[in-house]
Amino acid sequence: MSALPLPTRRDESWRYGDLDALARVWPVDAAERIVVSAGETFSRIIVQDAASSEVAIRHIEITIGRDATAIVHILNTGGDYGRIAVDVTLEEGAHFELGGAILGSGTQTLEIVTTVNHAHPNATSNQIVRSVLAGRATGSYLGKVMVARDAQKTDAGQSVKAMLLDRTATANAKPELEIYADDVKCAHGATVGELDKQALFYLASRGLPPPQAKALMLQAFIAGAFAKIADDAERERVETAAIAALEKLL
Amino acid sequence: MLKIDNLTNEIDGKAILKGLSLSINAGEIHAIMGPNGAGKSTLAYTLGGRPGYDVTGGTAEMDGANLLEMAPHERAAAGLFLGFQYPVEIPGVSNLQFLRESLNSQRRARAEAPLSGGEFIKLAKEKAALLGMDMEMLKRPVNVGFSGGEKKRAEMVQMGILDPKLAILDETDSGLDIDALKIVGAGINTIMRKPDRAVLLITHYQRLLDYVKPDFVHVLADGRITRTGGAELALELEREGYRELAA
Amino acid sequence: MASKNLEAPRNADAHAAVNKTYEWGFSSDIEQDFAPKGLTEDTVRFISAKKNEPEWMLAWRLKAYRHWLTMEMPDWAKLNVEPIDYQDAYYYAEPKAKPKLGSLDEVDPEILRVYEKLGIPIEEQKVLAGVEGARKIAVDAVFDSVSVATTFRKELEEAGVIFRSISEAVREFPELVKKWLGKIVPMHDNFFATLNCAVFSDGTFVYIPEGVRCPMELSTYFRINAENTGQFERTLIIAEKGSYVSYLEGCTAPMRDENQLHAAVVELVALDDAEIKYSTVQNWYPGDENGKGGIYNFVTKRALCQGRNSKVSWTQVETGSAITWKYPSCVLAGENSIGEFYSVAVTNNHQQADTGTKMIHLGKGSRSTIVSKGISAGVSNNTYRGLVRVGATAENVRNFTQCDSLLLGDKCGAHTVPYIEVKNPSAQIEHEATTSKISDDQMFYAMQRGLDQEAAVSLIVNGFAKEVLQQLPMEFAVEAQKLLGISLEGSVG
Repeated sequence: MSALPLPTRRDESWRYGDLDALARVWPVDAAERIVVSAGETFSRIIVQDAASSEVAIRHIEITIGRDATAIVHILNTGGDYGRIAVDVTLEEGAHFELGGAILGSGTQTLEIVTTVNHAHPNATSNQIVRSVLAGRATGSYLGKVMVARDAQKTDAGQSVKAMLLDRTATANAKPELEIYADDVKCAHGATVGELDKQALFYLASRGLPPPQAKALMLQAFIAGAFAKIADDAERERVETAAIAALEKLL
Repeated sequence: MLKIDNLTNEIDGKAILKGLSLSINAGEIHAIMGPNGAGKSTLAYTLGGRPGYDVTGGTAEMDGANLLEMAPHERAAAGLFLGFQYPVEIPGVSNLQFLRESLNSQRRARAEAPLSGGEFIKLAKEKAALLGMDMEMLKRPVNVGFSGGEKKRAEMVQMGILDPKLAILDETDSGLDIDALKIVGAGINTIMRKPDRAVLLITHYQRLLDYVKPDFVHVLADGRITRTGGAELALELEREGYRELAA
Repeated sequence: MASKNLEAPRNADAHAAVNKTYEWGFSSDIEQDFAPKGLTEDTVRFISAKKNEPEWMLAWRLKAYRHWLTMEMPDWAKLNVEPIDYQDAYYYAEPKAKPKLGSLDEVDPEILRVYEKLGIPIEEQKVLAGVEGARKIAVDAVFDSVSVATTFRKELEEAGVIFRSISEAVREFPELVKKWLGKIVPMHDNFFATLNCAVFSDGTFVYIPEGVRCPMELSTYFRINAENTGQFERTLIIAEKGSYVSYLEGCTAPMRDENQLHAAVVELVALDDAEIKYSTVQNWYPGDENGKGGIYNFVTKRALCQGRNSKVSWTQVETGSAITWKYPSCVLAGENSIGEFYSVAVTNNHQQADTGTKMIHLGKGSRSTIVSKGISAGVSNNTYRGLVRVGATAENVRNFTQCDSLLLGDKCGAHTVPYIEVKNPSAQIEHEATTSKISDDQMFYAMQRGLDQEAAVSLIVNGFAKEVLQQLPMEFAVEAQKLLGISLEGSVG
């Protein structure tokens, strides 16, 4: 059992966390450790749909071996406080793929926190996170990409988009880069906005009632997060869960 | 003007040029043709001094000076211009700024007085007009957002402004439609067809040669010149293909 | 035989080049009065007395000092700072031959020579005699702890513009100073700001009355000359309704082996329809190639866009200092107010920079633009750190952020730490970041056209930074372009 003190706001990776909720379950379980052997492919889908009064804290550490791949998909939508942290270390030629959606309402605090450590050359990573937040919910993505001194030819991407449905909701994003190698491609993009009114009007003009038009656009907005689930049945399962969660927000 | 003797080189440990010899005199236009992978672009880059194109043997002289001892910008100042097959984008740096700094660096290296802003703009306007290029294009960053054809045309404007003694034009015709090809061909003739200038055209097809008539045509295959002839050789190549002639 | 494609690596030359390249590194032998070394209440009283300050000012300083004693130096930046002994520095140094206000004739000629060497025109006649059509720039020259000259005072006063050293303003315009001092950057804001409140020595005060477009650029030139001396300047610019001012700030320091502390506070306030354009070229001594010496630059700069349609634009070119800790920010309180931050930060050798901005959107329809270009070379570290925050009641906020990093060599670091915090659904926030290096293709292409290696690097780097450089007033832009090239000399080879 971990004897670590309860984190504070000063701990960078907890700056947007719900620390009161965290105190209720502290200390939390140690991180789950996963090692992906050289050349292997690992895939994990996490659907966090805990009951509304619960606190769900998960932490996964993945070491991705030479030329191996890890694919993680996250639907983070349950609990008072739902936090999923993923720490990744990539060996040479490894690939990490993250697709995540945060769908929150009420007074939920939901976050996806990643550190992706490009410790060796020629590794790639791609992270896509989509958040939709309603009510007084707070959704946060904190993603740190580190590129070590000799990790040349790293290609790391982060795409973070959030949409707020109510003016009481909050979206936070911190796509961070720490780069010590020069021959790398690291890019991130982050946007926060609301649904395109023009598009909503267009859909309405074709006969879709506003709630349905909204739902349709939000589905499209989060679909990108799950597009890379290879197994069709699995993808459908997650998408269905996501659509159900979305409907609760509207 | 250019004298290449038994030139050999290696890229990533692989021999590309395998004893290439070629002489170009002032006033001449030469064309090098050959199949893919024969070493045509390698020859251009090696003469330009591109890092990674290490020479392992032979000599290359320009006006008696050892080209291989010079850094790329020194070769440029000596009068060597390389028209790139894939011109490079330099964001934020306008063509005019780039060319003015380049030209004046060359002039200083040759102990000539640098051009003033006014003189330079006059020169740029003249050359842009020659190649049918809008001055507005030259105010934009170097090659950024240019189409393939625009890039090639911009290369020729650069050549006009820098006024080299020897131009090595690598696949300058690729990406050009027929109208642009005519303009570029006429531009090359106007700028370079002079008794004290010379051109080495590197090309796949003979269509550019309809507009820029070469005095000599060489076939480059497997790192060597395998055949040399007059303008008629290009037509023959077009008809027969390289396979027959390269052997 | 190997062809000589590129000039051979020139590490030995590079070492020589770096020392040669800090052209502003001379120190001058000027008789000076120092406060006793160290920092106590007595130091604060000494400074206040030296400046003939009113009682309220001293009380304010002492309050800050006492609070500062309870504070700790912040450690969240990506900076490796050697412990600073605050008792081992002088907090006040002034040239002995003290000029009378406004009378340039009485400035120590040696000081005038320093500014002449730096190319700063503090003699009005010289400016007037300059090239026809040249713009006039009024200059406040701050030498260590004191302002030695403000020029064009008369002409500015005719327009109603007040351009003074802050020490004079405290005496002459106490109500204006009291109204705004510490209101934009509160006394307790952060460790360095609080320290500044206690010991600030001089700086610039600018007041632009309602509806006035300041007839010339205003500029302050900061110079640290004395050894072991910190510089704690304080700048306050007030732009009343419908006014406009463009303000330039430049800084240099001699080359000295020990680190010197510079902890400034700059406060700007823009009322309805007012606009302040604040440009900085920061070229404090960066230390030598082994990281010895150099200025520690801990600066708090903040603007309050209080009025409707007010606008503040920060442009900075940061090439100097051993350590830079600086986040010029905008609190966008006014409806439809605009904040801009354009930054080029260059680090070479052992320099460290952690710089960026905060855009705090409180007003409806407020907009902000952030363009940051970080260039790292040598074994330096360069961090962009920024915050875009949108309050719940701020409707229709727009922000666009572009953060680009350029790495020269594989021994340096480039880091991006953006925080985005949005509480209003109508906000449109866009953030993009890229990392690149100068490609071999670009280098060869530029060199094939005749540029040598350093000219090619300088050209490409200037292209990379262009969006920011073009925000600078023209005279500054030319300087800044040269400075970028010089700062990176010897970094590629």
